[in-house]
Amino acid sequence: MEHRLLSVTHSTLREDNNLSPKSAAAVLSLITNPFTSDSTLSSLLEALVLRLHNPNSNSDHQKVLSLLSALSHHHPRLGHRIAAAAHAFILLPSTPTPSLPHALSLLDPAHPFQTDPFSDESLFLSLCFWQCVKTRRWILRNLSKFRVRPSVLITVLLGFTKDPYPYIREAALDGLVMLSNGIVVEDPSLVEGCYFRAVELLFDAEKSVRLSAVRAVSEWGHLLLALKGDKTQREWSDALFVQLCLMIRDTDAEIRVAAFNALGKIRTVSEDILLQTLSKKTLAATKEKKYPGQYTAKLFNIPATAAAFTFVHGLEDEFYQVRRSACHALQMLTVLSAEFSGGAVHVLMDILNDDSMVVRFQALETLHHMAMHDHLKVEESHLHMFFGTLLDNNGLIRSAARKALQFTKLQKLAMFRSCVNGLIKNLELYPQDEAEIFNVLYKIGRTHGKFVTSIIHEVSQELEPSFDGKLSFDKKRTAALLVLAISAPVSLERSICSIPPRIYSYAVTLLGRLSSGLVHVMDQNTLLAYLSHCSKFTVASTSENFEGELLNFDLKNSFTHLWKKSDAFSFPESMELKKVTTPVHGYLLNSHIKATSCVEIVLWKVVELWPLIKLRCMNDVVQTLRSWKEELRNFSCNSRHPAGVLGFALRYLHVIKLLGKAWACYFSQRNLQFTEMGVLEALLHKMESRLKEMLCRHAGLSRGEKLHILELMLVAYTLRLSCGVTSYFEDYINKLKNVLCLVEYLQKEGLVELSHFVNELQNISCEIGHSEDGFIYKLDRLQKSLNLFSLKHIVLSGELKYLDAEVDVCDNEFQNPLPFIPGLPVGIPFDITLYNISSETRLWITTTLGEKSAQFVFLDLSEFGGSNEMRRFTFLSPFFRTPLAKRFSLKVSIAMECLSEDQHFKHCNGPKHELIHLCKGKEVHLSMPVK
Amino acid sequence: MVIECLVLGAGQEVGKSCVVVTINGKRIMFDCGMHMGYLDHRRYPDFSLISKSHDFTRSLSCIIITHFHLDHIGALPYFTQVCGYNGPIYMTYPTKALAPLMLEDYRKVMVDRRGEEEQFSSEHIVECMKKVTAVDLKQTIQVDEDLQIRAYYAGHVLGAAMFYAKVGDAAIVYTGDYNMTPDRHLGAAQIDRLQLDLVITESTYATTYRDSKYVREREFLKAVHKCVASGGKVLIPTFALGRAQELCMLLDDYWERMNLKVPIYFSAGLTIQANMYYKVLINWTSQKVKDTYATRNAFDFKNVLSFDRSLINAPGACVLFATPGMISGGFSLEVFKQWAPCEKNLVTLPGYCVAGTVGHKLMSAKIPTQIRLDEDVQINIHQLSFSPHTDAKGIMDLVKFLSPKHVILVHGEKPKMVTLKEKIQSELGIQCYLPANSESLCIPTTHHIKAGASDAFVRSCLSPNFKFLKTNSAELDDSHKRTMPLLQVYDDRVSEGILTLQKNQSPKVVNQNEFMEALGVEKHEVKLAHCFRVYIPDSESGDASDCLPSTSRKGSLLHLISEKLCRELPDFDVQDCQEHIQIQSVVVSFCSNEKCPHRTGVSLQSVDKKEVHFCCSWSVADDALAWRIVASIKNLELDT
Repeated sequence: MEHRLLSVTHSTLREDNNLSPKSAAAVLSLITNPFTSDSTLSSLLEALVLRLHNPNSNSDHQKVLSLLSALSHHHPRLGHRIAAAAHAFILLPSTPTPSLPHALSLLDPAHPFQTDPFSDESLFLSLCFWQCVKTRRWILRNLSKFRVRPSVLITVLLGFTKDPYPYIREAALDGLVMLSNGIVVEDPSLVEGCYFRAVELLFDAEKSVRLSAVRAVSEWGHLLLALKGDKTQREWSDALFVQLCLMIRDTDAEIRVAAFNALGKIRTVSEDILLQTLSKKTLAATKEKKYPGQYTAKLFNIPATAAAFTFVHGLEDEFYQVRRSACHALQMLTVLSAEFSGGAVHVLMDILNDDSMVVRFQALETLHHMAMHDHLKVEESHLHMFFGTLLDNNGLIRSAARKALQFTKLQKLAMFRSCVNGLIKNLELYPQDEAEIFNVLYKIGRTHGKFVTSIIHEVSQELEPSFDGKLSFDKKRTAALLVLAISAPVSLERSICSIPPRIYSYAVTLLGRLSSGLVHVMDQNTLLAYLSHCSKFTVASTSENFEGELLNFDLKNSFTHLWKKSDAFSFPESMELKKVTTPVHGYLLNSHIKATSCVEIVLWKVVELWPLIKLRCMNDVVQTLRSWKEELRNFSCNSRHPAGVLGFALRYLHVIKLLGKAWACYFSQRNLQFTEMGVLEALLHKMESRLKEMLCRHAGLSRGEKLHILELMLVAYTLRLSCGVTSYFEDYINKLKNVLCLVEYLQKEGLVELSHFVNELQNISCEIGHSEDGFIYKLDRLQKSLNLFSLKHIVLSGELKYLDAEVDVCDNEFQNPLPFIPGLPVGIPFDITLYNISSETRLWITTTLGEKSAQFVFLDLSEFGGSNEMRRFTFLSPFFRTPLAKRFSLKVSIAMECLSEDQHFKHCNGPKHELIHLCKGKEVHLSMPVK
Repeated sequence: MVIECLVLGAGQEVGKSCVVVTINGKRIMFDCGMHMGYLDHRRYPDFSLISKSHDFTRSLSCIIITHFHLDHIGALPYFTQVCGYNGPIYMTYPTKALAPLMLEDYRKVMVDRRGEEEQFSSEHIVECMKKVTAVDLKQTIQVDEDLQIRAYYAGHVLGAAMFYAKVGDAAIVYTGDYNMTPDRHLGAAQIDRLQLDLVITESTYATTYRDSKYVREREFLKAVHKCVASGGKVLIPTFALGRAQELCMLLDDYWERMNLKVPIYFSAGLTIQANMYYKVLINWTSQKVKDTYATRNAFDFKNVLSFDRSLINAPGACVLFATPGMISGGFSLEVFKQWAPCEKNLVTLPGYCVAGTVGHKLMSAKIPTQIRLDEDVQINIHQLSFSPHTDAKGIMDLVKFLSPKHVILVHGEKPKMVTLKEKIQSELGIQCYLPANSESLCIPTTHHIKAGASDAFVRSCLSPNFKFLKTNSAELDDSHKRTMPLLQVYDDRVSEGILTLQKNQSPKVVNQNEFMEALGVEKHEVKLAHCFRVYIPDSESGDASDCLPSTSRKGSLLHLISEKLCRELPDFDVQDCQEHIQIQSVVVSFCSNEKCPHRTGVSLQSVDKKEVHFCCSWSVADDALAWRIVASIKNLELDT
């Protein structure tokens, strides 16, 4: 059967006349039948390809191509051959234009041919301007496959926004959105042109066009903002906001969702306008304001009042998708203004009554977010709704409610009491939430110390054992109150805690349950120690005795406070001070803590800063890092350079700070402006040199540690390369390649799993091979690869030694210079101390005079005595090129030749590799002797 | 072409909505309502204005009813059965289902209770409904060859629709009553962005700006809860359909959540029957109801019981839904009279009451809490601002969204409508009118002329042909001024044709290239020429005997000039073609013709041998360039 069919089809395929539907069906049946043999398929393929390439068979290319695509679909292994045939077909001069899209879709853009049709601009343009609408639509939908200059793309897309066919307009707008993510446009009028064109299409009759226009307005609006100077940026940001507000009254729900999503992305909006979004009446502040934009198809000025009631409309919407999106946009914008948040709370509290779970959840998330930014002002009228969610029958909602609650500030005791009651009711109804409820109770107790104290006093009777001597601690309410009680001493309010100590001893009986609730705050041993510490005082003395330590506690807790802030961004629960507070509590209890374990903890916590960095909350990150550094410095007492692991950790934190800043700078300034570029480059430069230092100046780094540092280096290089404007592009490509080689080498030594980021870089590098400028074409992939990077936990495996040096010249200062005679060499006596430097290290004394090139003198360590740990010796080094001057000063430092760097230096008689300075430059003053 | 708009009812008032619109000869009657405030002839629209001969079937193309409220449909049986209209009638399915109930209820109240003369009978209602064609949302109906109508969702009440009507190129939308914010059971109005000449919109709340519905819900629940908690009775007079369902859903949910056991009653069988219709017509309710439908029907109220007359004075708290909504009579008035003396009780009033009803009296007396209307009114009053009508912002939003060329406001109170009219005109720049009853209004419309297109023109339209221009704001007139227009995109593929109108032929659009051929004329081009002389100082051979410069010398001179021009005009392509130099359309050559017609100045008979004539010609477009070139060549004599 198969053969019969094959022979029939072969003969029809060879004939010149048209392929009849019947024979096409026969071919298709052969293709789709899974039992067709390989030989048949391959001969079929040959016949089809022959027919395709035959210039005489003009009319049925489409049929043959669709058969080929079916073949490629059913038998992917033939894909390569089919792609090759299609490629050849495209290059044929006789090929009719309408067949091109079909043929192009058979190619795989990931495997470029030598003459790649996807980077052929003239082909691209001829398809674009072909009279068939279908072709145009195809090309617009497949823009991403083509590697055409952005300037050409943008022109074509902009032109097509005027197309009479709505689908073409829509596709063009989508293309513009896609383009806006990957290009740098410096011409403000072009960006403005695109923006206003998209704005015009917000008034299109076709709703799919309007939908795409909303996205395009949002994206190009942001590009426009980036191009505007600081002064007008605010104004334009407001204009964009108001323009998008107009769309939330569209009658299509999808457009409303898109509009709210876009609103949520705007980073700065005037408070007046935000307040207007909550009020239907025109506010005095926005009454007269007008912005450039489009109000209706005819009116080219958009009044600020167009924003009126935006968010209430959104939250009242019929579709839960719109309500959720509006809630989310609120979450993003409430950060901007406390007054706006205050107004938004009223609406949000009503939303907690929504019938859609998703919306309720998002509303709680928004409240949580507001609480994190200290913008949540809960009023008594809200409590009913707010605490009502604690009793929701959906666990997720309850959990979200507690999350929002734990950072809420309650103004009055009555409110706090009803909050506690709400939580206790929650506990009674849903015992499965116990651990979380304890956690929340502990946290709100900590922030409302005064209220806790008075509540505990009110209910202390309840907590006492009953007359028959039995404790009713199995009651859930009692347990909850005990948790509240134990939170009081660590209250951040520094209030005098007068909770009867025996309560703490009662709490001990519930140790297991309590500790499971507080597992994120402290472990069981710490809790026990803490409870026994609190309960060992008797009667009224608690407050006085405790006060001293309380202060101490508060100090440590300010650290906790900081954490609280950083928690603002929906962190995993582990973000809590699980381990860090452990030493804190322990410290209080005089248990000895080693610096190393503290370092371990800090290094472990650093990883959790990564999400914050990604969110570009650099203030929090920097603060946290600073506090950690201080914490760590406490251990290093008085040594100049904190040695070993501690020093390593400090430097590591510094690098992370640089990385964070650079990352934030890079991602906030994707449309790089020149000044920002400078900042970014400076940051990256610093980071690179710090990393290099870390790599070279620590003896005893394990492979994992090295890889970690190398990965960070790769990040720095990638950042620099992908911002695209660096002046030493080639250099950095080489550097990147070198580091990749090192990584590969380290990987070969032992089986280490590399991160996705490094893997991706390796892939890119492999694909490019040795071509010099290959990377330029892979810039977008480089940029994308950054998204794969995430900070990992660096594990310090052993003791580290820090390579250090000190150099000094005896009794030399500005007042007391060394004598010299101009033009003649002078000998300078250096006192040199080296730490942890082995005798194989190639050390140089570098002497620089002004900005001129340095002079290098080699230090042969074998000549000097001492051990590797420390060497101290005096060395008389000559300086040859003394200037013709009365006095001058030299900068001297000790540098180590970094053998791993491949870069060659062209100093004759000098070091052959890059140098790492081991100490700060020391000024040496010389003067002509006064006669 | 004009749209003629004859307002028979609801012009500058609320009640008896009826507008007759004539579009390109087609006459459509939108709504056929009655006025609840009058009992005399004023209760019906003045149909005699439509046709003096009373032949309504011939003078109207169709009747469109937007929803089942009596002020929109009340006069329909009278018009069809008594006045004898026999043409097509369109309304949505729910309206068709619910309208007979409303009409029958009204008829009963009028005839059975008040003993009035019957305006139309039950049979009339049945017969009238037989003439109705039911339509679905977004279904386009071809009423006749030219007239198209389409219904869009309007919110307001179950089955309420806005209607789009199109005859030829003229299109209008009649909104009926609509709501732009969704409520518990109905969605918000939904319409496409259409090309419209006219929108006729209701304007019940022309100046009201309503707060968030959540606030209203909370206040209502609080008031009701407070009343029943203290043992009072709550009377909720409502229309049978719409508000009753919405409030009931709200209360039912609240009862469930707060675990309340106080009974909620529905007064008449009508409302329960209406609930049944709601269950059947779930497709016309809000997205929310549709979504929950998978699990349970939102209209299966758990806490609702039906009411018995004996329960009026039964002790204990209760909540009662009773008709009619404005306490204009019927059961709600009966109950109100019974409950009014007790200050524990509560009555809720709808947002709008027609003048003359008890509801209106209660409202206009100084509220908020306790009033003394007659001797015995002690009851608490809670005014509901729940309304299925959109507020001023909603009207503005809809008008802005549709951006028609003209707006007519109906179904509102005059002073408020004036305010809204001014707002629409000043803010949106759209012409707005508010005709009174019996007034007729003409509105100009767009009219397109059909033109044939030549093949070449169609071909040229297929391929994109876009241009980018930078325009300055100064070029646009002030009213359309945009602060930053800068880059503008044009796609000229359509505009580049030429419209030809010939006698006795339909208009045709042709391509530019075909134009000449179509007219049968040749192409003429205007050219300018100038011939001038230049002295060339003879440098080497002063004794040359030739009067005229030799050919070779001419060549070198031309070459010299072309080099000079190349230097001076770096932006242009200077072509040196031996005999002449060409720059764009400017051609420069030697002129040996003594009587060259373009020669200016005195032509000397004795030709100086150092003198050469150049003749230039160019087309108008390059005029400026040409004179630059001439000046440049003339400068030659100074240079050398």
